[in-house]
Amino acid sequence: MNNRSSVEIFTEWDIVAARQLGRNEAKNSGFGTVDQARITTAISELARNIYLYAGKGKIEIERLETDGMKGMTIIASDEGPGIPDLRRVMEDGFSTSGGLGAGMPGVKRLMDDFKVESEVGKGTTITATKWLR
Amino acid sequence: MNSKMREVVNEHMDTIIEKWIDLMKEEKGERFFHFMPQHLVEKTSREFTMLMTSNINEGDTVLNNERLDDFTEKVVRFGWSIKFVNKAIDNFASVVFELLEDKEIITEQNLRIFMGVFTAWINPLRESIIEAYAIKWEQTDALQKVALQELSASLIPVVDKVSIMPLVGTIDTERAKLIMENLLEGVVQQRADVVILDITGVPVVDTMVAHHIIQAADAVRLVGAKCMLVGIRPEIAQTIVALGINLSDFTTTSTLRRGMQEALSLTNRQIVEVE
Amino acid sequence: MNVRIPILKLDEVLIVSIQWELDDQTAIQFQEDLLNKMHETTARGVVIDLTSIDFIDSFIAKVLGDVISMSSLMGAKVVITGIQPAVAITLIELGIRLENVMTALDLENGLTKLRTELEA
Repeated sequence: MNNRSSVEIFTEWDIVAARQLGRNEAKNSGFGTVDQARITTAISELARNIYLYAGKGKIEIERLETDGMKGMTIIASDEGPGIPDLRRVMEDGFSTSGGLGAGMPGVKRLMDDFKVESEVGKGTTITATKWLR
Repeated sequence: MNSKMREVVNEHMDTIIEKWIDLMKEEKGERFFHFMPQHLVEKTSREFTMLMTSNINEGDTVLNNERLDDFTEKVVRFGWSIKFVNKAIDNFASVVFELLEDKEIITEQNLRIFMGVFTAWINPLRESIIEAYAIKWEQTDALQKVALQELSASLIPVVDKVSIMPLVGTIDTERAKLIMENLLEGVVQQRADVVILDITGVPVVDTMVAHHIIQAADAVRLVGAKCMLVGIRPEIAQTIVALGINLSDFTTTSTLRRGMQEALSLTNRQIVEVE
Repeated sequence: MNVRIPILKLDEVLIVSIQWELDDQTAIQFQEDLLNKMHETTARGVVIDLTSIDFIDSFIAKVLGDVISMSSLMGAKVVITGIQPAVAITLIELGIRLENVMTALDLENGLTKLRTELEA
């Protein structure tokens, strides 16, 4: 069974597609309603970041099962401009899009594990995992 | 050689038990041998001995698992510590060793061989006891976690429109999430206008706990109710101010009783005495 | 593809019930429609019911927050009703507090709250 699925992010509608995929996967993995909302919201934020800053990219969703722990990983990757100051985007209230600035630190709080890899001019990959309690 | 050992052990079983009990009585920290009725001590000791010798009797490698499980369960029920059980095994082994030396079955010539026999006898016993204890602990641990989750946060509808959640014990991140979920689901389900969080039973309110409480109250506001914080003891008030935590957006009271009055007045009601 | 969210008028109150997942376009369209309707009808209050919504991200939260600020500029009060527990928790964890927003458990409570607010 292939436990990895993905959505290409290119238009605003792809954001909707990505979070619908995430919501279904979360539901099928056995996550409760609150965790489903957390995962869906995190995907929405990550997909919107790709759409706004990189123009195009990909959201991948992978179901995990290791050492009796079940979970779900979201991988958001793009080949956009990259993030010049990683530390700054992880500060609460920092935003360049005129949004609420909830973006990255917010996503980190919604998920259990969170990792950003970014290189200016090459792109960004964000990996975020939620474990089934 | 083993048959000889078996013979002697079986023959002198009573002496062994007696000596072993004497040794165990000298152990500090456990009251079992001092306070239990004599016949119970006798019975348990015999069971212990039976188990200890069962794998000598049945051949070296076969360990009677069923009897071991049964015995371990009994020992656990007596509340012996694992240290004490280990000591019991040690003492038993040395009593038997001394006896065998007395009867000149163990001599200087065959000492090395008997060391091997003893290791093969004692080690599996010790290992299975430890394993059995570990499994017991894990089970207890899991049960306690479930029990803790059950008692950790229930929202009680006390009167129409007012619900109370008493919080007891230390709040960590995991519990805080559970509290938040139960609180919100409860508010919506019970259609509460006001929820009272009672922290009388929370021993320490540090920045993290306060942060969780503030978040919970914020979320309660979003679903359309009001959150009050009651049971603020003097020392908690001191820490909150000392840590610079701002709870000014909250309605807070020191006691649940005053909180209840406040909650009623928020929902335009009051308690009146009837003739 | 583009569906508009219906806005109903009841006396001097506008009632909006969002029944499906909001995409960005629909959200922005809704903001525009609501402000126009407010202007046409001179409504003094708005109830937005979110009972069917199972998540709100920062974008939708911003649209909602903006709608509330804009409405108050136009002299109308907004009550948000039926935010699901899961949605409330996610919003708080995202760091979106939606301060100065009136909320109520459901549409009925929301209407009562708005009426008392308007009478005051």
